[in-house]
Amino acid sequence: MNLDHSAVLQEARVFNQTPIRPRQSRVLLAKILFLIYRGDNMSTNVATNLFFSITKLFQSKDMSLRQMVYLAIKELSTISEDVIMVTSSLMKDMQSKSEMTYRANAIRALCKIVDPSMLPGIERFIKAAMVEKSPSIASAALVSGLHLFGEAKDVVRRWGNEANEALNNKGLSQGPSFFGGAAGQSQVVSTSNIVQYHAIGLLYAIRQHDRMAVLKLVQTFSGQNKSSSWLGGSNATLRSSMAQVMLVRYAVRVMEGDPSLQGQLHALLEEWIRHRSDMVSLEAARAMCQLRDVTGKQLTSAVSALQVFLSSPRPTVRFAAIRTLSTLARTHAEAVQPCNVDMEGLITDANRSVATLAITTLLKTGNEASVDRLMKQMQGFMTEISDEFKTIVAEAVRSLCRKFPAKHSVFLAFLAGVLRDEGGFEFKRAAIEAIMDLAKHVPECKEAALAHLCEFIEDCEFSKLSVRVLHFLGEEGPHTARPTMYIRHIYNRVVLENAIVRAAAVSALAKFGASPSADPALQRSVRVLLRRCLDDREDEVRDRAAWALRITDDGDARDKYVRDDSTFALAVLERKLVEYCASPAASAARFNFEAVPRISRAQEEETRSRVRMETMDAVLTGSAVSTPAQHRLGARDTSEPSTPAAGGAAAAPVDVFEQQAQYASKLNAIPELAAFGAQPLVSSQKPAELTEAETEYVVRCIKHVYEGHIVFQFDITNTISEQVMEQVEVSMEPEEDVSDALQPVVVVPIPELRYDEPATAYVAYERTDPDTFPTATFACTMRFIVKECDPATGEPEEGDDGFEDEYSLEAADLGAGDFMQATYIPDSHTLWETLGQAGEAVETFALANFDSIEECVERVCELLGMCPLEGALKPTSKAAHQAVFTGKWMGATRTVARTRMTYQKGSGVTMELAVRSEDQGVSELVVSSIA
Amino acid sequence: MASIIKAILDWLLSLFWKEEMELTLVGLQNSGKTTLVNVIASGQFTEDMIPTVGFNMRKVTKGNVSMKLWDIGGQPRFRSMWERYCRGVNAIVFVIDTADHAKLDQARAELWSLLEKPQLANIPVLVLGNKNDLDEALTVEQLIEAMNLQAITSREVACYSISAKNQVNIDITLKWLIKHSSSSSSLVP
Repeated sequence: MNLDHSAVLQEARVFNQTPIRPRQSRVLLAKILFLIYRGDNMSTNVATNLFFSITKLFQSKDMSLRQMVYLAIKELSTISEDVIMVTSSLMKDMQSKSEMTYRANAIRALCKIVDPSMLPGIERFIKAAMVEKSPSIASAALVSGLHLFGEAKDVVRRWGNEANEALNNKGLSQGPSFFGGAAGQSQVVSTSNIVQYHAIGLLYAIRQHDRMAVLKLVQTFSGQNKSSSWLGGSNATLRSSMAQVMLVRYAVRVMEGDPSLQGQLHALLEEWIRHRSDMVSLEAARAMCQLRDVTGKQLTSAVSALQVFLSSPRPTVRFAAIRTLSTLARTHAEAVQPCNVDMEGLITDANRSVATLAITTLLKTGNEASVDRLMKQMQGFMTEISDEFKTIVAEAVRSLCRKFPAKHSVFLAFLAGVLRDEGGFEFKRAAIEAIMDLAKHVPECKEAALAHLCEFIEDCEFSKLSVRVLHFLGEEGPHTARPTMYIRHIYNRVVLENAIVRAAAVSALAKFGASPSADPALQRSVRVLLRRCLDDREDEVRDRAAWALRITDDGDARDKYVRDDSTFALAVLERKLVEYCASPAASAARFNFEAVPRISRAQEEETRSRVRMETMDAVLTGSAVSTPAQHRLGARDTSEPSTPAAGGAAAAPVDVFEQQAQYASKLNAIPELAAFGAQPLVSSQKPAELTEAETEYVVRCIKHVYEGHIVFQFDITNTISEQVMEQVEVSMEPEEDVSDALQPVVVVPIPELRYDEPATAYVAYERTDPDTFPTATFACTMRFIVKECDPATGEPEEGDDGFEDEYSLEAADLGAGDFMQATYIPDSHTLWETLGQAGEAVETFALANFDSIEECVERVCELLGMCPLEGALKPTSKAAHQAVFTGKWMGATRTVARTRMTYQKGSGVTMELAVRSEDQGVSELVVSSIA
Repeated sequence: MASIIKAILDWLLSLFWKEEMELTLVGLQNSGKTTLVNVIASGQFTEDMIPTVGFNMRKVTKGNVSMKLWDIGGQPRFRSMWERYCRGVNAIVFVIDTADHAKLDQARAELWSLLEKPQLANIPVLVLGNKNDLDEALTVEQLIEAMNLQAITSREVACYSISAKNQVNIDITLKWLIKHSSSSSSLVP
């Protein structure tokens, strides 16, 4: 359909003709609706004119025309002005004298155009319509009630009785259930019991904030609590499956709100799982699977119900079942395992979504033994499926590689096999990334993986991928036993490929030549090859070759450019470059690289793998079809950007880098402190407030730990506009004797502190023994000279010598957590296993002064100074919680901490803390940080 | 029997002589527009207390004339929309509550501002002073004075004092309206 907007609007004159031409008008209305649905913009003016022309059509009695008019009114109601004009006409149509078809439609249109102030006037008509026998009218009124609920809660709240009556109304709608089908029935007498669905929705909307009322609703209509006289008797039943599904959801909400009701409602859920309607059964099973802290035993009935659905002939049912299982497999892989055989059958399902979910679920539930079989099966049908799907499989295999490193040869063979097949860019990219991952994380298979990559670039149609592989070969190749093998492959590229690939190949060669592990013979041959590249047709290739030859000779340059282990924080670099390019003023100056924090390659790698893991998790769980529960979780994530792990995965680490860089540049500006090192090993994440809010001075303390020193940074703000402070310094007095471990070395005062201009003072200590990590509490006092000043100018008054004053601050703590760098360590589970019990320290604490797990875990996180892993700070249960934290002691020693805590009213939180690290001493220190 | 024959005759006549007309009723709220429409349509007086929100459309057949009556709400929020429904009609009927002296000034202002609209030039206007059954109601002369109707020269104006409740002068009103059916529509652009 290709309709011209203005032509259609021109035609709108038809509406004003006398007599009305129903057929023509109807077609024109359809065209207008089409324009609106297509997303054409209509100005208010145009829409208003159109609307008033359409109101003229109320004079026609033609039924189909009137129906189109209702539709048009609904669509124009948001664009046009003065839509209340049709209120009277619609009210006339919705009254009982009118035609049945008119009534329902008029109600629906009416609820779109009324404003809340007019609602009391039409209230009684809507209430009457709600209890109408005809399902279409009752539904229209109930749905309108739901729509109006947002704007006019108080009025709609009074409609509860009518909604109730509608819910119990046997009326005409005594018939087969929804899935029974309504074939052969007349259009007005619907058999779907849809009225019940709408009525229960409205009832819930009205009562949603009263948990007991919702509970009663659930109990009454679930058949439990038969003696209840509420809602007129015990025979309340829901004939509509959809209404029953809603009931399941409400039950779950009640359970979430009040754990004490869980037991009671659990039994209900079990009952629903056995419901004869698939819809209800699926919903109940899904609800069961999504319950917080559900146990494996409780899941059995849900999982076995889902298992039956897996072999349903209807794709929607299969999809619903496999999706629920897939989500469940994330948290309770073992519970899903009984379905493995059925899921394997679904791998070849005609519905791709079902098949994809089946595979990704199997990968989560499978054990090492089943991997071989699974891979073989996948290989069998790889050629039959589309590229998009292949990509997902490749991604899934990639995650599997991390899980079962021992099976690397199977994976590698599989990936190499699929690389040889035809495939698009995305798929090939996913496959080579998976191989690279293997090469990086499973040292045993590095050579084989690199060989496969070499083979791949011999016949690769995507320059981008060739470049990627060449870069990787340049990174990894030089450290292998036989680098010459790769050099041959790389040089082939120089001979055979286009300029982009040739340039990348030259860079890779340069890395071989400059590698510290390259022997002189190898260096010589690389130089020969590079020299040949000097004759290349392309500038870039020649330039790179010439540059490479230069730096292989020059040791300093080589160290600086090729062997350098640090890199820019890429996300920050990108953002700064975009800012630079966007602002014309900035381009006059050179781009300031100093502003971009430098991080080590390892850190960069961590950030990247973390982002990838999280996105992959999203892919595997099918975030495109994510459940409302996940949405809620997501919303909570964004609302707490302050916790580094929970906030946006990409944003948080970058901000940490940036903050560190800011600290470093500030510290380095002070010569005494710059001598301690280029950048502190560990900087505290959150400043500690040393003053109460709203006092004369605001002081915040940030601790920086260097190799041999500790620097306390005090950010001080003067909030009194009538005074200037001079020579502001903080004196620190350790409360216990730590002189054998810490010696004060430098105190950096603030020369002048004006109103509302924060400045920074420092106190530095030297750690006399690098192996002891002192913990202490320091009493802090701020000493300064006060001068009166004119608040307007901020200049101190002439001749005022000022007077000395001091102000005591709250104590600053130096804890073990301050030596810990909160670093995200990917794959902490494996690390935990490899660290083993050798470097483990375990202790149990009774923490009586916490009132909730949440409070406790936050404090523990603060004390440990470690990075909380996914979900660590979000206890899902009020009674028990497990959290994992990772970090690097002094920025080097990898440490994993696991806590298990239980909460009981009265006795507080009991916590078991187990810490494993590469150094037993460190583990013990970490444990000691909780006191 | 005679009535049946008359009905058939009427029907036959209407086939040949049927005339269409469109009227718009405006006026301040609570002046009796919807009531008047009901009286014209059904011949019965009903005490309808619900204010019109928006408009009502009624079709009435009187003799061989079929009338479309647009009865527009009189509350302030609807007055700006009167004009839209007055465009191109055979006559505008402006209803006034003659017993409500406090609102006469307002009614006059609304009437005049409506008549000033260029789109509505030349459309005949019938001013109806309703509720003459009440004691404090104005006479026709007083109403003409109060509305300043004698100052209108560019169009046809008529003024009647009526009572929808007691059905006083409804017949002459209808007569005037029917006179202005399609015969006068040639005046309308």
